[in-house]
Amino acid sequence: MFAEELKTFRRLGFRHVLLQVLNFASVITSGLMIWKGLGLITNTESPIVVVLSGSMEPAFYRGDLLFLTNPPHTSYKTGDITVYQIPGVDIPIVHRVIEAHDLAKDPSSNNTLLHTNRQLLLTKGDNNYADDIQLYQGLDWLEREHIVGKVQGYLPYIGYVTIAMNDFPQLKYALLGILGFLALLQRE
Amino acid sequence: MARRKTAESGDGDAQQPSTPDVKPTAALNVQREVIKVNNANQSELKHTLDDTLKRFLGGPDQFKTIHRHTDVRLALGWSCVFIASGTALYGYQTQFEKSKFVVWTGVILYVLLTSIQTLYAYFIEGRTVYVGKRKTFTKRIETERITIESHAHPSSPSSPPKYELSVLYIRSTNNGKSLLHRGKIQDSLGFNAFYDEDGVLDQVVFEEWVRGLVIKAAGDAE
Repeated sequence: MFAEELKTFRRLGFRHVLLQVLNFASVITSGLMIWKGLGLITNTESPIVVVLSGSMEPAFYRGDLLFLTNPPHTSYKTGDITVYQIPGVDIPIVHRVIEAHDLAKDPSSNNTLLHTNRQLLLTKGDNNYADDIQLYQGLDWLEREHIVGKVQGYLPYIGYVTIAMNDFPQLKYALLGILGFLALLQRE
Repeated sequence: MARRKTAESGDGDAQQPSTPDVKPTAALNVQREVIKVNNANQSELKHTLDDTLKRFLGGPDQFKTIHRHTDVRLALGWSCVFIASGTALYGYQTQFEKSKFVVWTGVILYVLLTSIQTLYAYFIEGRTVYVGKRKTFTKRIETERITIESHAHPSSPSSPPKYELSVLYIRSTNNGKSLLHRGKIQDSLGFNAFYDEDGVLDQVVFEEWVRGLVIKAAGDAE
């Protein structure tokens, strides 16, 4: 099967090989750029995330896909479902805000942190018994900078593909391999 | 009488234009490798014919291929890839808030280059598959330029899928400033004229057809 394709490559020369590799590379880079563009538009580092645990049931179940935005100058309110990431922890967490304190801007204050509007937030998973203070790694409150985004919408079950690929990395490599194989050998 | 005839043929020259030398490669038939494709895939049928045409006309003693369209596509495409990878790498290594400006410029540049590439392919390249040039030294230096466009017509209940070629032939001297000859020919044949039922391409038949079209375009006065 490969013999035919290799013959074609040798027949058509170097430019053709470059074109086919370009096809493959453009598929990947266009996906990458769409992701980055989406992140810029929604003002968040990862605009689409997958729910991994059951701590937000019955609102979100494991495997749901969440769409996030992070509107720049709005404050978060009690009841918003946010995704936050504590520095030093790998995995972001999606929980609901149960307390929000807005500290007014005080430019004349000695405390430089008060020179802009600040928010102190406390979160808790709907399905958890206790609030998230244990997860904050020593912090008393969550601040705006820790929040990745606020949930605007969701799609059920779709995230299972990502979970499967994380749990079985061979699946990920197999998928990439198949896509690469197809892209390199197909002509437009 | 003879004078009127030459005037009618539209040629400034007193003699008939010499037919261009498109040599048949039938002599090499024995050493050729077999080209076999999937008969059911119309895109593969068309692309294989395009490739055979490029190899035939670009071969030794034939035309010199002009790679302009391919090079533009490669240059734009690969610069898009590098810009995108650079931007993604930068975004991965830097914090989100700090990286925003660079990532914005990267994304916008990428969109711009991709749009230029698409517009170029659609408007300027169009259906062109081969552009070639040849200089002959008869009495003066003559440049022949040939542009070939191809198109595949899907099948209908009454006809098989067809392969259409449009050959544009221009002969000029004086570095392109004096036009001697211009001919355009269009012809189409069903794919079944070239491929047998196993999908093997009859290269001789195809090359003869192409050769005939080129000669006709060169000998055809406009």
